[in-house]
Amino acid sequence: MGKSKPSDVAIEGIPPVSEQEETKRIPERVLIGKVGLDGHDRGAKYVAHILRDAGYEVIYTGIRRTPKQIVETAIQEDVAVIGLSLLSGAHKRLLKQVMDLLKDRGAIDIVVVAGGSIPSSDIPVLKAMGIAEVFTPGVSSQSILEALASLLKARRQAA
Amino acid sequence: MTNDTKDLVEQVRGGTSQRVRAAARLMSLIENFPERIPEFLVGAADWPEARMVIGLTGPPGCGKSVLADRLITALRTRSPDSCIGVIAVDPSSPFTGGAFLGDRLRMMRHAGDPNVFIRSAATRGHIGGLVLGVKAFIRVLGLAGCRTVLIETVGVGQNETEIVNVADFVVVAIAPGNGDAIQLLKCGLMEVGDIFVVNKADCDGAAQLYAQLLAVLRLNANGQKTGMPETCLVSALQRRGIEKLVDLFEKRAAGSEQVWQARRRQTMVDEVKAAVLEEARQRLSRVLGTGPIATQDLSRILRGEVTVTGFVDELIQKMTGSREDKKNYGQAG
Repeated sequence: MGKSKPSDVAIEGIPPVSEQEETKRIPERVLIGKVGLDGHDRGAKYVAHILRDAGYEVIYTGIRRTPKQIVETAIQEDVAVIGLSLLSGAHKRLLKQVMDLLKDRGAIDIVVVAGGSIPSSDIPVLKAMGIAEVFTPGVSSQSILEALASLLKARRQAA
Repeated sequence: MTNDTKDLVEQVRGGTSQRVRAAARLMSLIENFPERIPEFLVGAADWPEARMVIGLTGPPGCGKSVLADRLITALRTRSPDSCIGVIAVDPSSPFTGGAFLGDRLRMMRHAGDPNVFIRSAATRGHIGGLVLGVKAFIRVLGLAGCRTVLIETVGVGQNETEIVNVADFVVVAIAPGNGDAIQLLKCGLMEVGDIFVVNKADCDGAAQLYAQLLAVLRLNANGQKTGMPETCLVSALQRRGIEKLVDLFEKRAAGSEQVWQARRRQTMVDEVKAAVLEEARQRLSRVLGTGPIATQDLSRILRGEVTVTGFVDELIQKMTGSREDKKNYGQAG
């Protein structure tokens, strides 16, 4: 391969942003799903839909998944982001399990965001756990996209 | 191979705790940098290979993913120590480049099974029902220890038949509710099956569709010496007929390993050809550029000032002229 190829300077599959803009846009991969026992998937499907339309590749895993299923799937699919919807009230416990499993598997570079009916008083607790962003009811699709774009930009720069 | 790739390959081969992650990253490299696909095909010469590569195709909504889920369960039960790899392809949007990958949803029961490796992939503009680099994907799954690889194509129309050159044999799934028997006479999909499955046996019209299928296949077989493809009536939902289908797989696999591996090597050049064409397409579209300048340039063809072939000649000339200075690509025209 020639020295000037962008692929030669790629780190773990993602070339520097400057070169990415110059050559082509590589779609980012995102897992969207629900953990725990509530089955209200309208929000998760909505977010999957807006991400799809914004050019993301969305792996939709559906409802009632265990933290282990989510983490194993995220690793096999090599996603940059895990987005989890929770409306059951068990967000602290379940997201803690997800973060612990990611740590065990050496995959803490995967950005985790959460959404759903999460009381504002719990948000600092979740952020301290390593959840990058929490989206609560009423948030606009534009702000979800903007938040995700800046989290991914930071991730690419850290790689 | 470059060093980043080599490290990942060694992590997969060495069976470290990072094995799955490394395999997943190799697959990302393949799909993000198609120009590197030949590296994988050449570098993979001494990698372990899958025993059986099964292609699963059929129209959207005929139950391919649920069938795949049941097949994983059946294959895992028969060989508890054997790893299974699945590549599940869904379409990218030609408008936004995004994709909704929903095949895996049907197979989530296997997410905790360390012997099942499922990878969803988006077509990213590739035509044919699969992804560019699927053969390299298969080699990575082989390296990760998968003995069986199941490839689920996008929901196909009538002409996405690339799977024939990728899988050792092809299972075509159809289901009642997708048109009458005339559909079975059309070219493309109905020509690629080694095994035909009528799914949704629990639904109205399945028995009738199965009878129509047999009639059409008999008609086809009369003209050829290859004989009838095998057929199977199943209900993936109710888990009926799955064992019989896996029996058909095993019958095909018995004694075929070397023939299949030789055929995989012969068809490797197809993958390289696709990668070459993709690189050429990308380079040419970079020279052409986007937006108003490209539109203006292309309008010359509409005004009769230049022919399509002449225009392409110009593009090639510009491309070779600007090879030294890549930054000019976008301004060409």
